[in-house]
Amino acid sequence: MEAGTRSSLSPAEIGDRLRAQFGDDVLDVADQFGHAVVSVTPARYREIAEFVRNDPDVACDYFDFTAGVDLGDQGFQVITHVYSNTRNHHVRLKVMCDRENPTCPTLSDIYAGANWGERETWELFGIRFDGHPHLVKLLLPEPFEGHPLRKDFELMTRVAKPWPGAPEGEEMDEDE
Amino acid sequence: MGLMESVPMPQPVKFILNWGRRYSLWVMNFGLACCAIEFIAASTSKHDFIRYGVIPFAHGPRQADLLVVAGTVTDKMAPALKRVYDQMPDPKYVISYGSCSNCGGPYWDSYSVTKGVDQFVPTDVYVPGCPPRPEALLHGIIKLQEKIGQEDIQEKWTRGLTVPAAPTERAADTAPVTPS
Repeated sequence: MEAGTRSSLSPAEIGDRLRAQFGDDVLDVADQFGHAVVSVTPARYREIAEFVRNDPDVACDYFDFTAGVDLGDQGFQVITHVYSNTRNHHVRLKVMCDRENPTCPTLSDIYAGANWGERETWELFGIRFDGHPHLVKLLLPEPFEGHPLRKDFELMTRVAKPWPGAPEGEEMDEDE
Repeated sequence: MGLMESVPMPQPVKFILNWGRRYSLWVMNFGLACCAIEFIAASTSKHDFIRYGVIPFAHGPRQADLLVVAGTVTDKMAPALKRVYDQMPDPKYVISYGSCSNCGGPYWDSYSVTKGVDQFVPTDVYVPGCPPRPEALLHGIIKLQEKIGQEDIQEKWTRGLTVPAAPTERAADTAPVTPS
């Protein structure tokens, strides 16, 4: 593999490069399992993604996924995972959106792969991606109403029959 | 079909017809998940359902007598399954293979999984399991053949061939498409 020809950057090094370029718009840099997890402001999310892609040191040319997280009262979070084929390191960008009217800039013109990922995040979480060229349902059937991965989405089957199990960690101690 | 409607079919004729039909089941595998792999295992040399006269790899639904729904049917896939079923010529049979297609199985509370294919295709045999072993499919096939053996094809035909059904209850439940 050609991938190993240049050594990968550590999460801290990636964070330093992003902080040097974008200052306070990089809210947080963390090292999770060797991946650089970077929280950014929505205002410069696109710029940062473009930098992560085009900067010769970071060079994250491969788009892995975009997903959403429902953080309850804090709002929604959009997570974009990219990877560098040449440097063999991972970067995850996190951006917060508003609870009531969640919107997020699109990356679909920077990473082609983001097109479907954002459509999926839109239909499952109801996060609008501003500038997305074709924001229609991808996986859900057309008549489907609601955003099923939101925490407040009502599962009709569970209304009829409550979930019989216990929350994780609170299972019955039959085995003990 | 005029004669069939007016004269009761003699028992030997009935027997011969049922016998011919039960041991020549061209099967359409509607494989959607891990159950499809068990189905394939049942078709290969170790379990070999061909020895029961079940012939896999029908060239299309129009050449098939038996539909095996193996796997998780989602609400989005359901119309495609219904369409495959509607394309099959009568008399046709359906085996629901695995918990997902029986009742939703582990996805019983999912927002997207259809809780049982019997909501929109008439199912003859349910094979439980997650996934069921190939032997279970063989058992289901034998159950189906017993059922075909006792069938009154005259009654089945004169009752009316299966017409493409009206929109299923499920589809009626969901609201009309709203542009968004």
